[in-house]
Amino acid sequence: IDPTYQLNTAIIQGAPGYGNNLTYQVTIVRQMITPFAGVGTGANLNQDNRAATLELWNLGYRTTIKNLVDGIASIEGDPEKTNMLSMLRIWRAHQFMILTDSYGDVPYFEAGKGFLEQIPFPEYDSQELIYDDLLKELEEASAALDPAKDGVDQEVMYAGAGISDNISAWKRLGNSLLLRAAMRLVKVNPAKAQEFSAKAIAGGLMTSNDDNALVRHDASFRNGMGTNLNGGQAPFYYLDKELVDFFQSNDDPRLKAIAVRYVGSASEGGQVPENANSDPAVQIGMPQGFDNTTIAPQVAADGVASLFDYSQLDRTRLGAPEAPSFYVTYSETLLLHAEAIVRGWASGDANALYQEAIRANMEQFADWPGDTTIPGAEIDTYISTHTLTSGMELEQINTQYWISSFLNGSESWANFRRSGFPVVAPNPYPGGELKTEDFIRRLTYPDAERTVNSANLDAAIGRQGPDILDTRVWWDVE
Amino acid sequence: TTGYAQNTKIDLDKTGATILEIIDAIEAKTEFKFFYSKEDLDLQRKVDMRVKGINIEKVLQKLFPFGNVNFKIIDKQIVLTSNTTYRSAGKTSVPPILQDPIEISGIVTDSDGGPLPGTSILVKGTNTGVTSDFNGNYTIMVPSTSAVLVFSYIGFTAKEVAVGRQSTINVTLEESAEALGEVVVTALGIERDRKTLGYATAKVDSEEFAVNRTPNFMDALQGKVAGVNISGLGSGPQGSSKIRIRGISSFGNNNSPLIVVNGVPINNTSFGVQGDVGEVGSNRRSDSGDGLSSINPDDVADMTILKGAAASALYGSRAKDGVIMITTKNRSDEGGVEVTFNTNYTNGAPLDYTDYQYEYGQGEGGVRPNAPFPNTGVWSFGEPVGGTQILFDGLVVPYTPTPNKIRDYYRNSSTLMNTISVASGGENGGISFSAANMDATSILPGSDYVRRTVNLGFTQKLKKFTISGNVNYSNEERTNPPNIAEQDFSPVVIYTLASTMPLDLLRENCCDANGDEIPYSRFTNRTNPYFALKRFENNTRDRVYGNITTKYDFADWLFAQVRIGQDYYMRDVDYNLPTGSQRQSDPPPGFVNGQYIQDQRRFREVNADFLISANKQFGEFGTMLNFGGNQMYRRSDVNTILGENFYTRNLYTIGNASTVSPNYVRSEEQINSLYAAAELSYGGFLYVNATARNDWFSTLSPENRSILYPSVTGSFVFSQAFNNMPSWLSFGKIRLAYAEVGSDTDVGAYADNLPYRINPLQLLGQPVGGIDTSTIPNTDLRPMRVTEREIGLELTLFNNLRFEASYYNKLSSDQILQAQTSDASGYTTRRINVGESRNEGVEAFLSVSPIRTENFTWNTSANLSYNTSEVLSLGESVDDNFITVGLAEFHGELRQVVGKPMAQLYGYGWLRDDQGNQVFDPNNGFPLRSEEQLNFGTALPVWVGGFTNSFKYKNLTASFLIDYKLGHKMISGTHINAYRHGLDKATLVGRDVGYVIGEGVNPDGSVNTAQADIQGYYQTIRTHRGSEASVFNAGSWQLRQLSIGYDFTSHLDHIKFIKSLKFDIVANNVAVLKKWVPHIHPDQNGIIGDQYTGLEATGLPITRDIGFNMNIKF
Repeated sequence: IDPTYQLNTAIIQGAPGYGNNLTYQVTIVRQMITPFAGVGTGANLNQDNRAATLELWNLGYRTTIKNLVDGIASIEGDPEKTNMLSMLRIWRAHQFMILTDSYGDVPYFEAGKGFLEQIPFPEYDSQELIYDDLLKELEEASAALDPAKDGVDQEVMYAGAGISDNISAWKRLGNSLLLRAAMRLVKVNPAKAQEFSAKAIAGGLMTSNDDNALVRHDASFRNGMGTNLNGGQAPFYYLDKELVDFFQSNDDPRLKAIAVRYVGSASEGGQVPENANSDPAVQIGMPQGFDNTTIAPQVAADGVASLFDYSQLDRTRLGAPEAPSFYVTYSETLLLHAEAIVRGWASGDANALYQEAIRANMEQFADWPGDTTIPGAEIDTYISTHTLTSGMELEQINTQYWISSFLNGSESWANFRRSGFPVVAPNPYPGGELKTEDFIRRLTYPDAERTVNSANLDAAIGRQGPDILDTRVWWDVE
Repeated sequence: TTGYAQNTKIDLDKTGATILEIIDAIEAKTEFKFFYSKEDLDLQRKVDMRVKGINIEKVLQKLFPFGNVNFKIIDKQIVLTSNTTYRSAGKTSVPPILQDPIEISGIVTDSDGGPLPGTSILVKGTNTGVTSDFNGNYTIMVPSTSAVLVFSYIGFTAKEVAVGRQSTINVTLEESAEALGEVVVTALGIERDRKTLGYATAKVDSEEFAVNRTPNFMDALQGKVAGVNISGLGSGPQGSSKIRIRGISSFGNNNSPLIVVNGVPINNTSFGVQGDVGEVGSNRRSDSGDGLSSINPDDVADMTILKGAAASALYGSRAKDGVIMITTKNRSDEGGVEVTFNTNYTNGAPLDYTDYQYEYGQGEGGVRPNAPFPNTGVWSFGEPVGGTQILFDGLVVPYTPTPNKIRDYYRNSSTLMNTISVASGGENGGISFSAANMDATSILPGSDYVRRTVNLGFTQKLKKFTISGNVNYSNEERTNPPNIAEQDFSPVVIYTLASTMPLDLLRENCCDANGDEIPYSRFTNRTNPYFALKRFENNTRDRVYGNITTKYDFADWLFAQVRIGQDYYMRDVDYNLPTGSQRQSDPPPGFVNGQYIQDQRRFREVNADFLISANKQFGEFGTMLNFGGNQMYRRSDVNTILGENFYTRNLYTIGNASTVSPNYVRSEEQINSLYAAAELSYGGFLYVNATARNDWFSTLSPENRSILYPSVTGSFVFSQAFNNMPSWLSFGKIRLAYAEVGSDTDVGAYADNLPYRINPLQLLGQPVGGIDTSTIPNTDLRPMRVTEREIGLELTLFNNLRFEASYYNKLSSDQILQAQTSDASGYTTRRINVGESRNEGVEAFLSVSPIRTENFTWNTSANLSYNTSEVLSLGESVDDNFITVGLAEFHGELRQVVGKPMAQLYGYGWLRDDQGNQVFDPNNGFPLRSEEQLNFGTALPVWVGGFTNSFKYKNLTASFLIDYKLGHKMISGTHINAYRHGLDKATLVGRDVGYVIGEGVNPDGSVNTAQADIQGYYQTIRTHRGSEASVFNAGSWQLRQLSIGYDFTSHLDHIKFIKSLKFDIVANNVAVLKKWVPHIHPDQNGIIGDQYTGLEATGLPITRDIGFNMNIKF
């Protein structure tokens, strides 16, 4: 099999969906919330629901990592396929970042080699070593991409979107990911963060929304989050109060594109198109701290008919089954670049990049189905009132990053832990399993690892700390 | 008169006793034997007989004071004859001439000329008789020359000889295929005298499954055969039968015995839930039967179950779990033409074992449905019942319990089976033909099963050639097999509906005007059970199997045989996922959602074998040699097409689907084998058998594919070996066996390759593909090996009591298992040779006829199996001392743990402190979860068995069967749901006050006083995955079968063309006498796979079937 097909599988299958995105990630960073217990139990009740914490792990290792590792092994050392190899390496690094950022120490060097090297029980590697290698991989693979060498015409990300020089686009993606990886280390190793962000910027970052790394879903390859929000989970997920309040207090035109409220719904039966209202002014986000049986007093206080009357992600637009899933965007990259400038690690106009990042994100809304295009005038108005304020730059930049990475839960959550922004309140749900931390800092390992790979698991826990939601990953120092 | 008669003093105290009773009493107290003809004497005359210390002559004088009976005493034999002078007027037969008793003597031999010690010789029509001595000699007194002697010996055809004027009668008895079931069909179809076998077999009389029937006929044998565990499933009449012999030998998912029809294996793939076959498309978990379901019980002439490895060693690899040998009819035994018609009808009522609370109604958080479109349809944490509730689009209806949902939703099932068969037989052969139809409806509306079978069997002798064969055709149509063991699109969702949900409203509000499901539950996968009826499945299987055998007799001691058999079927299935369910996501714009799948399979297995057999007697020594070989070739082709998202609504075709994904899977396997068997016997009582077989498996790498395995067995018939054995010992035998069997089961074709798959769909015109397995391929697999030791004892006492017991010790090593791996390896399992397990057990059978008189017989029999197992090692490649083999639908798992019996249930429980107090979270009062998964014990029964009692009074018969399975556990998925949804009565605690305070402590050791929210508290069983509360003893005692029959034959003497007519009233699953699991029938599990044993997921309700069977022979 051509490894490009495996790369395509990894790109498509790695998309943030329901169980690997909504249950913890998006909820922790207060973008969305479900008040219902059951399969969706997770960050909404601060519970260690191990049937859900494993979703990202299983999806990653069983599908994306497995195929990328196999594809790399099949062409490694082939001088005719260096571009293809680089793409596989870049995407493998991206997928591993998601895993290690979520769990901490994970199997890395031995992962995905059950057949290739007959390693059924891979060792866990420390996140520090993993990041050393991720930076190396991203740097080498990005540098190795060369439009003069082998063409990779069947890759779905850029070639599939009709971009002719897809090799260069992958190079800019590689460097943008290198910047993302470098900036993860700001708390634990600022020198290294500075060193590699400089390399990334020098290598050439994304230059427009055309460079966005995303999976463009269609009727056959659908958005897993969208199918759930249109299927079984439709009446259960709501926009978080913190998110709605932020948009409203900033007169953010993006709220109109994101939200819908089925005004007056007394039950899920009320969530019909006739009751749908996207007017930003009527939106009411759902507060955290309740479940479906304890939320009644809050429902009364908020003046809504029932919990089904809170604002939701519009399932016909951003939440549609054919909605694209964004992995790495121009907007996010600009914001990281601006932060590097603010930190003095790069030269340039941080405010200009910040405003361009907001514009890029707002323009990116045109990519979603339905009426989500944000008029240029509204963009201009918003930007004119949003400039960097001295001393507030990191908060402003990373709060916008929270919006720019909306629905890409793993990235939003990682950047939230790294930067400390946005400033949002912790989930006050009584009886949560968090012991010392206000927010969930990592996901717990799958029970199956305890069952079959306990010696290696214990080594990781010994290094990193107990296998609980409170434990911070290596780069997340206080 | 002689000394004994003179010296024996008799005491009798009988009032109003019949002459017969007096005779019986005398026979019981003394050694006297009476000889008489019932025809001639009035033995029912009542007399008073009170005597003390008198001799037999005086007793007889008192007994027959009128001279109408002559008596003669010859040593211990007393011969009674009628005195014609006094014959009662009513008798019209020719009066016999009064004669003196005649002494007859002779010798009984078998066809080889060897003596037959212990042969029973009876005067026909009397209950008197003698047995032959060690040299086959006998002496008997008969009352007259018109007497007839009946010579019988187990394993031989009984022979009747008229006495006439002979005084010496020498008899040669022929070994018999039918007599008393003592000739057994063994491996490769070789018929053997049971006494020569060194291993346990069970011969099953066709009456056992042909009268009291079940749609899959093996289910009728539950509890009837020692060592054989047959589990009914809650999957409906079209479903599979789960049969396990002597425990489970491997950690694999399927430990079914091999099914052999007329000497040739047939395919027994289970299409059950978690069975052998995966399905395309979403939410299809129906059971569409197995290989056994094609068999019409009326075609079965004979069935033998080979239980141990020694018995099945000649079948090799696939027989590691025992063999069920079925012989179908191929001629009439009786000669002439015989036509048989059998009809069987049963009607089944679904059994509702739910024990739910009906004090609180639908709702969550203590609130009843009070606004339109409530989504609490599977929650019963509402208010106390009474008043009204609002359901669906604003319907105001009474808020009252609806406890009869199971009974109301399901209908009665019925099964009608008709078979007509024609058979003829003559000296050189015969033919048998049958045609049958079975029409079964399941309790689920719209779910039916029709099976049509045709069977042709023949055998013909052409001088030294014998050609015989069987062809079986079956056509099975399964319409809408119920979706079970899950919630989606399933009728078993009934078990989770709220306590006040009115079924009629659920039906009326199943769909809106478009036909879309109207929501009633926030768990949208709990498809409305009436909407679920839109799911369809048409499942047709056409199957032809059979074999042709040619045999050439070179000499009476040497033959060669060539046989070729084939099992071929085509199975066409199409099924849908109905458009418009709440469960599915919206379709792409312009389409309607849903799926339509076509699944077509072709399967062929060809077995070709040859056998050369020599059998020669050298004086006291006998030898038998067999040499043979077999080639098994199997090919399966599967084409599936999945169509999704339709252009036009309600048109489920591939052409109407906007997205079409075809797939094709082909696999081929071959096993070549050579084998030899030898038997050496001495004196007709000592037998030693040895076999060796070598298999070559195509599924394994060339270095590992050959395996040679032997067996040695011995049989010692001690009742025939010594001539001073007591006469009450009719038969006695000890047997010993050792055998090894190798197997590639659980490997599967191409298991050593890494498959890739390219998605038939492209994204943005770009191809998508990748590795197509979650199991790490292994090029280094070796065949697994089963080593079994067995010792057994078989006894028959007083020609009445039969006892048989076996002890076995079965070691399975180098097992091939899909062992769980770390997901981080990229794979979830790998196929490896791991470790060892042992099954050890005893199986015993006892039957006796406590009463055996002319008119009344009572037979009682009991069988018992005790099986324990232990996982001895899992090999070095396993990380810990256990492997997880199966995960339950909700929570709980099945593991193999070193040092414990196989199939251990594990799951989380509640956290407890050192004193055993349950620990609760002080913040919310919820119970805390145990840190590790707890062990709940084995899911495999330790004790399995049953008791049968049958009674016969003249033409009337009656019998009942009680069976039991004990010593195992289950994690009940039904209970988990009933509990978390507030249906289980245990969830009533605290509802009156609105909170629960768990009895126990907080983590700091203080007494727990936190008031927990009711619903949240009981839901922790799900959110914390706490299986502990749902662990139950899985055992049961059941009154399984009941039947009452009448044989009308004797009333039909005047209707010449009817040979016999029997009518039986039958009942199945009559009553559960004892069970421990709540809410369900103990058999009501939907999953068949061994790796999910004990992880109960709700199956279809079990039915109590009542009906009749009528059998007419013309």
